[in-house]
Amino acid sequence: MSRALRQYPLESTDGLRFRIARQGDMRTDVLVYASAALIEHIRQDLSLEQAMNVATLPGIVGPSLAMPDIHQGYGFPIGGVAATDYEHGVVSPGGVGFDINCGVRLVRSTLAEQDVRPRLKELVDQVFRDIPCGTGGSGFIPIDEGQLEDVLAQGAGWMVENGYGDRRDAEFAEAGGVLGDADPDQVSARAKQRGRPQLGTLGSGNHFLEIQYVETIHDQRAARAMGLETGQVVVLIHSGSRGLGHQVCTDYLALMGPAMKRYDITLPDRQLACVPIQSEEGQAYLGAMCAAANFAWANRQGMTHFLRRSFAKVFGDGARLELIYDVCHNIAKHERYEVDGKMRDLLVHRKGATRAYPPGHREIPEAYSDTGQPVLIPGSMGTASWVLAGADGAMRETFGSVCHGAGRLLSRTAARKGRNAREVQKKLEAEGILVRSETRDGILEEVPEAYKDVDEVIEVVHQAGLASKVARLRPMGVIKG
Amino acid sequence: MFEILEHTADIGFRARARTEAELFAEAALAMQSIALDADAIEPRAEYRLEAAGHDPESLLVNWLSEVLYWMDGERLAFHHFHVSEITPERITGTGFGEPRDPARHPARLIVKAVTYHQLRIAETTEGWEADVYLDI
Repeated sequence: MSRALRQYPLESTDGLRFRIARQGDMRTDVLVYASAALIEHIRQDLSLEQAMNVATLPGIVGPSLAMPDIHQGYGFPIGGVAATDYEHGVVSPGGVGFDINCGVRLVRSTLAEQDVRPRLKELVDQVFRDIPCGTGGSGFIPIDEGQLEDVLAQGAGWMVENGYGDRRDAEFAEAGGVLGDADPDQVSARAKQRGRPQLGTLGSGNHFLEIQYVETIHDQRAARAMGLETGQVVVLIHSGSRGLGHQVCTDYLALMGPAMKRYDITLPDRQLACVPIQSEEGQAYLGAMCAAANFAWANRQGMTHFLRRSFAKVFGDGARLELIYDVCHNIAKHERYEVDGKMRDLLVHRKGATRAYPPGHREIPEAYSDTGQPVLIPGSMGTASWVLAGADGAMRETFGSVCHGAGRLLSRTAARKGRNAREVQKKLEAEGILVRSETRDGILEEVPEAYKDVDEVIEVVHQAGLASKVARLRPMGVIKG
Repeated sequence: MFEILEHTADIGFRARARTEAELFAEAALAMQSIALDADAIEPRAEYRLEAAGHDPESLLVNWLSEVLYWMDGERLAFHHFHVSEITPERITGTGFGEPRDPARHPARLIVKAVTYHQLRIAETTEGWEADVYLDI
């Protein structure tokens, strides 16, 4: 952390793309997507220095990328994207993060805001009862050890087969809700023990479930394809692979520290620990990471099932819930991109970044082939969330990636300072937003003021042509861990 | 003795103690206190804890990861810790606590993992000191 980063020149020709030229041990440039105002926020913490450290990874292809919601993380910045050569590059568990396949799904309802508003309290309380946060230690989906192996191999599909959803649900998740390279044998007994009771639980920290309504539509054609209209009620779920994924990352970081010496890799930050993709350790990690990703899709699917039951209890059978899409934003995936006129096999690390495939891409559902993949960007509690559609610019410039949220501005302690949970809750209630949290700190640490302006983050992504605006969503009810 | 440190997305602590062994016990207690309301935890049973590492930093991260596993994976709540043996590559200790009862031991937040981010462990003129950041 010795570099006096703020002195490094950030060059920009268009006010949207800021470049830090390769220097020192960096193997490539850093390219930051931001506005002039956002870049000033970004300079305040260690995130640019972390993006420069990522640029030192062996086998990195293209620039070390930073999205407009970038903030400091561990090793990698949150909001960072790095592609490495699949044959000769490295895989870094820190480039995925502890919460493997932390992600977002958006579910549309057949109800309008005016149907839900009069019974909002009843609905929020019902959802809060039905979807456990997991702070008590366990959830409501009892599975034995054998069933867990199947969940790790089959992801969302296992949940659907076992009565926790319909066939369409798995189809409308990124990668169909399952990564075929999963190898449950590479997941430790400890990771399995930690995760098994937590299937179908939300978690704490920045994880949440929000009941929202569509405030404005920015692209009628794309909104129609996604089944969205003004005033419609939707539900956004933000959660990941729970203790199972956290333990997988912990296990492999412990293994990779000593292994790096064998591969003669030295890095400026231990949290970036990495090994060659094609090494035994690299393959074992990727097998375990894919299994943890499958657990995360199963986890979000389990919560979707409970959510449908909550809506049915309050509104009867008339309220149908359908999955619009499910995206992961902490993952490393084997994908192919054109680089300098040649197709190359890459491992794309997305640490707090969302895949954003454009219209016509073969890996998105037929329903979205004309509009592009739905990209789901949660904002902070009490502000707004966005639905975007993937665009061609992301394929050309960012390995099919965009931002993943608003990005934190204040530390958790700073967010708590001078605030009272009850008052924050009351203020939000006055704005028509009901909040239920398992922990007092859960409300304070996620106050809207702790985050950057999500609209400004989205504007950068939209202007840069990485994804385009489809709809802005406003919260009505928030469930937090 | 420990205090909380700031991080944009997560949380850290600075622990201080007279000896290296006490520092590791104190760091474990700091992490436990961040995760759970520790007031009602009773030292009814003893749990053996151990970890290995190849330098002081990895020993500390692996030790805290061991404690975190017992908290989140085996669902235990610890009252305090004792380190009986510490070498440059190995640590053995005991956690005194009980199976976690969510009603009596409400969660403050869920700790996901222990990180190397700005990790620091040092001998000072007064004893030992460590900075640790947790992913939450």
